Amino acid sequence: MKNRLKVLRAERNWSQQTLAEQLGVSRQSVNAIETGRYDPSLPLAFQIAEVFGLAIEEIFLRD
Amino acid sequence: MPLYRRPGFWAGGIFAAFGIISALRITDAIGSTTGFILMVFAMLQIIPLTRASLAKQRSTGHLSPAIVRYTRRFLIASFGYMLGLGIAVTIANRAELRQTESFLIALLPVIPVLGMIWTMARYLIEEEDEFLRHRAIMASLFGLGAVLTLGTFWGFLETFEVVPHIWAWWVFPIWALGMGLGQCWMALADRRAGDPSGEEA
Repeated sequence: MKNRLKVLRAERNWSQQTLAEQLGVSRQSVNAIETGRYDPSLPLAFQIAEVFGLAIEEIFLRD
Repeated sequence: MPLYRRPGFWAGGIFAAFGIISALRITDAIGSTTGFILMVFAMLQIIPLTRASLAKQRSTGHLSPAIVRYTRRFLIASFGYMLGLGIAVTIANRAELRQTESFLIALLPVIPVLGMIWTMARYLIEEEDEFLRHRAIMASLFGLGAVLTLGTFWGFLETFEVVPHIWAWWVFPIWALGMGLGQCWMALADRRAGDPSGEEA
């Protein structure tokens, strides 16, 4: 699944580590989600959306 | 990075020591007791190996509290295994055992192995990072695939008398080895996807 994590992170000047700490996951997890190698579960997707203050569909896009 | 901080250095040290000790034992250059004592000393390298691995995982953002607990439990189980195996082999070599006694002796190395399996199960339960949990499950399945493939293939080769018989306790080391290979394969995939050694992307 495609996503806009990298762009959204860059807009806020957040590193992967910063985002990982806010989500309570490893930096590696953020990298895997960002590069499309891992699709997060629904609870984690909601958590990501909450951190960015956006709806899930504004972050994750259908292939 | 200095050599002593690299997990590969200590892992290589353990394999090299085991290889040398096994060669000395096979050629009868050393006795079983000396071999066992040397093996215990070689196993002590697992402590710096663990410390180096944890430090590397911490630096690459892979370390979670569940991994720290897993590593500590696995370390204890590994020493228990070495101790149990050494005692079992020593007793079996020096005493005439009845079947019940042999059964009890066999439990000495088995109980720590059960501890290792329990440790892995606990890790999957305790890991809160779903991606790390997913990777651990994938690595376990990789190990399972290795055991089933090699076990079935070897079994038929044995049936048709192509290869000699091997003991069934090999399933656990093969599974663990397969799991390690699975983790290496996923780490390589990470690098290809642009996450070299966990540096900021």
